[in-house]
Amino acid sequence: MSFEWGTIVKTINWTLVFNLVNFAILLLLLRWLLFKPALRYLDKRREAIHEHMEAARRSEEQAAELQRERERALTAARDEIRKMIDESRLEGERILAEAKQAARHEAARVAEDALQEIEQQRETALAELREAYAGVAVMGAARVLDREINQDDHQRFLDELLSELDEEMLRTRTP
Amino acid sequence: MFEQLAPLLDHLGEKRMAILHLGGYSIRFDVEAILMSWIAMAVLVVLALVLRRGFRQRVDEKPTRTQAMLDSLIGFIEGQLLGNFSSQSLARQMFPFIATLFLYVLVCNWMSVIPYLSSPTQDLNVTLGLALMVYVVSQVLAVRSKGGRKYLKGFLEPMAFLLPITLVGEISKPLSHAFRLFGNVLAGTILVTVVMVKFAPVLVPSGLNLVFGLGFGAIQAFVFAILAVAYIDVAVG
Amino acid sequence: MLQEVQSAVGISGADIVLAAKYVAAGLCMGIGAIGPAIGEGMAASHALDGMARQPEMRSALMSTMVLGQAITETTGIYSLLIAIVLLFVV
Repeated sequence: MSFEWGTIVKTINWTLVFNLVNFAILLLLLRWLLFKPALRYLDKRREAIHEHMEAARRSEEQAAELQRERERALTAARDEIRKMIDESRLEGERILAEAKQAARHEAARVAEDALQEIEQQRETALAELREAYAGVAVMGAARVLDREINQDDHQRFLDELLSELDEEMLRTRTP
Repeated sequence: MFEQLAPLLDHLGEKRMAILHLGGYSIRFDVEAILMSWIAMAVLVVLALVLRRGFRQRVDEKPTRTQAMLDSLIGFIEGQLLGNFSSQSLARQMFPFIATLFLYVLVCNWMSVIPYLSSPTQDLNVTLGLALMVYVVSQVLAVRSKGGRKYLKGFLEPMAFLLPITLVGEISKPLSHAFRLFGNVLAGTILVTVVMVKFAPVLVPSGLNLVFGLGFGAIQAFVFAILAVAYIDVAVG
Repeated sequence: MLQEVQSAVGISGADIVLAAKYVAAGLCMGIGAIGPAIGEGMAASHALDGMARQPEMRSALMSTMVLGQAITETTGIYSLLIAIVLLFVV
C-alpha cells in the first residue's frame, strides 16, 4: 500500500465502491436497529389511536342510543301520566256527580223526615190542644150548668164535644 | 499567522490517495473520505441505538424526551415520503432506503463544521456513487413494476426519434444529482477555507460554517433525498 | 516577436495559461450564477405569493419550492464545477 497525491475531480476511483459498501452496511444496520422497529411502532401507535377513536365513536353512538331510549321512555311516561290524569279527572267527576246525587237524595230524605216530624208534632200539639179545649169546655160547662153530672154522662159529653171539636178544628185549621 | 494556514489552500484542490496493490491491479481510493464515512456511520448507529430506547415504552404512556425526538424525526421523514410518493405502499417500501440516504448525507454534510473532520460528500466519488445507486434502484423498481417491454417502450415516448434526447436526459439525472451535492458541499468548504486563510481566521468562518455547513448542508441533504424520491417515483409511476 | 516580449517582461506561456484559467473561472462563475439567481428568485417570489394567499399550504409550498430551487440551481452548479475544474484540474 502506497500513497500519492491526486486532484479533486480528476479521478473516479474505488472510493465510490467502498463508499457504496459503507452505505449498504449502514442501510442494513439502520434498518435493523431503527427503521423496522420505528415503522412497527408507528403502526402500533396509529392502530392504537384508531382504536381509541373507534371506541370513542362507539361510546358516542351508545350515548346517542341511550339518549334516544331515554327520550322514548320519557315520552311514554308523559303519555302515561296524561292518561292517568285524564282518567283520574273522569273518576273525580264521576265521584263528584255521585256525591252530589247522594247529597241531593239525603237532603230530600232529611227534608221529608223533617216534614214528617213536623206533621207528627202538629198532630201531637193538636191532640193536646184538643184535650185542653175539652177540659176548659167541660169546666166552663160545669160552671154554667152548675150541676153535677155522673161519670157516664161526663164521658159521653166529652166524647161528643171532642168529635165536634175535631171536625170543627179540621175544617178551620187544615190548609 | 496566515502563513501557518497557507498549506490548507495549497492542498485544497488535491486529495491524498491510497493505492492498494492487489495482484497486478492497483486499487486507488481516498482514505480520508472512507474514514469520514465510517465516522458518519458510527454517529448514525449510535443515534439509532439512543433512539431505540424510545420503543421500550408502551403506546399510551406519556412520551419521554427520546421518544419525542424519535417521533419528530421519523414523523418528519415519513410525512415527506407520504407527501412526495404517489403510492403509499411504495413510500413504505422505500422508507428505510430514503431515510438512510437522508440521514447519511445530512451527517456527512454537517461533518465539515467540526475541525479535523471533512465531509465525505465533498468527494465526487461518494456523491456519484450514491446518485448512481439511486438511479439503479429507480430503474430496477421501474422494470419490476412495469415489466421489461413497457419499461423499454417508455424510452420511445413521447416520440421515437427523440430517443437520443431522452437518453441524454436519463444520463444527466444521476450526474446532476451527484454534482449538485458535490458542488454545494465543495463550494462551501472552499469558501470557508479561502476566507479563513486569506481574509479572517476567526469568527467570520464560524458564521460561514453555520450558513454553508449546517444550513446548506441540511438543505442539500433534504434536496438529495427528495430528488431521489422524485426520480424513483417518476420511474415507477 | 511575442517570444521576445515575453522573455523581456519575464512572462512565460504557463503564466498566460494561469491568467486565462483564473479569468475564465471568474467569468464562468459570474455569468453562470445569473440564470439560477433569477430562476430561484422567481421561484421564491411565487412561492411567497402562494403562501401569502394560502398560509395553510406553507409547508407543502416550502418543500416544493426548495426542490424546484435545487433543480434550478443545477445549471449554476455546472458552472461552479467548470470553474473548479478550471482552477484545480486543468
